[in-house]
Amino acid sequence: MNGEFSAEADIKRSRRKTREKILPIRNSKFNMAEHTHDDHYHAPGLQHQFDDMKQQVDSVTIGMWAFLAQEIMFFGGMFTAYLVFRSRYPMAFAAGSNYLDAFLGGLNTLVLIVSSLTMALTVYYAQKSKRNLQVLMIILTMMFGTTFLVVKYFEYADKYEHGLVPVAGWNKVVGETGTDADLEEESEITPEKESLPTPTDAGGVKAEKANPNGEFHISQKDIELVKLAEREGYLTESEKIGYFRDVQFGADGKVASFGEIDVEKYTGKVKIFFWIYFVMTGLHALHMIIGLGIMLWLLYKAWLNTFSAEYYTPVEISGLYWHFVDIVWIFLFPLLYLLGRHFLAGGGH
Amino acid sequence: MAEHGEQHIGIPGYLGVFGILVVGTIVTYLVALIDLEWIFPGMNTLVALLIAFTKMTFVVLFFMHVRWSSKLIWLSAVAGFFWLAIMFAYTMQDYLTRSVVGR
Repeated sequence: MNGEFSAEADIKRSRRKTREKILPIRNSKFNMAEHTHDDHYHAPGLQHQFDDMKQQVDSVTIGMWAFLAQEIMFFGGMFTAYLVFRSRYPMAFAAGSNYLDAFLGGLNTLVLIVSSLTMALTVYYAQKSKRNLQVLMIILTMMFGTTFLVVKYFEYADKYEHGLVPVAGWNKVVGETGTDADLEEESEITPEKESLPTPTDAGGVKAEKANPNGEFHISQKDIELVKLAEREGYLTESEKIGYFRDVQFGADGKVASFGEIDVEKYTGKVKIFFWIYFVMTGLHALHMIIGLGIMLWLLYKAWLNTFSAEYYTPVEISGLYWHFVDIVWIFLFPLLYLLGRHFLAGGGH
Repeated sequence: MAEHGEQHIGIPGYLGVFGILVVGTIVTYLVALIDLEWIFPGMNTLVALLIAFTKMTFVVLFFMHVRWSSKLIWLSAVAGFFWLAIMFAYTMQDYLTRSVVGR
């Protein structure tokens, strides 16, 4: 009796063991939930290589910050180039900066700040598991991002119109005569033009405005400002060497004397500013375009109601990227658009 | 994540940070029109950069939630800017001390 009982129990026990072996394979999801129910809750977005949501979120976040540190260095290289050349040729940088539309630049700063707010609210509503508000905020973020790019397009178009793209042939070609509107505008800017010796001098307003080869060119007003700065003693040694012709050095290694301003040399220095402007804002715009692609994917996911209080990491990480791009612009705006504005607003020193 | 507590400053907080950023932008623009160079050369740029750093700090702490992040995230964020500062410092200590002759 006893033996029979124990044999029966053995069979039952072995059956249970088999079931325990097979079940995890056959229906692992169900079985795992049963097994780990007391330990911790398994969130829907948890991937198998992580122990729990906290570990997953921490890993993903540190990965994103490593990427952002790389991005800081990526833009940092260009900021360093800016620093070097601006410290060398402050006057040329201020002149270049004053061709930019500070109002549009400031407007774009505000547009990006609003988009950062809506991005932050996207994360907020994802944390609150509110699908509709999430979708709305993502759409708003994309709208503001697009607005930024549209404004940027108009700014670039303006540079193209006025011969400020630093590559010969990439500017709008203006015939020898130009239009009447062009002539009027130019004669307003350069009232003292007759007193200026320029190497490309053809004697008149028409020749200055005409741009048959689509080349980079600056206004006579800038040349006047350099002369003024030289008279008032604001130019540094490196600027004297960089802007004037026939530079002679004394025994002490400093600039002893120099001739007339060399328009070609000075234009080249303003050109450096525009190279830096186009490369930095261009790469920033590229980041915006990539960001819009990420937002499109995020919109699709949010539309399917993927994110909730338990799982919203993709929203958070995309937000980190979006905010970083905003931060880059926060620095680009004053550094590119606002140089020497007080000089013009106050009518010089 | 819900069990780790609320990791944000709520809608009023977000709007507050947004307000600070907008004010910062407008102040940046207006200050650029005033001549501060009489204090010392580069004062205008210094003020613009100080405002930009303040704006960045608010974005990083509150919009990017670093305020509630682990020490490791703090370290990553600070390290990025620390290396940037090293790059600026070493580049400029070279360029600013070079002789201008021969260029």
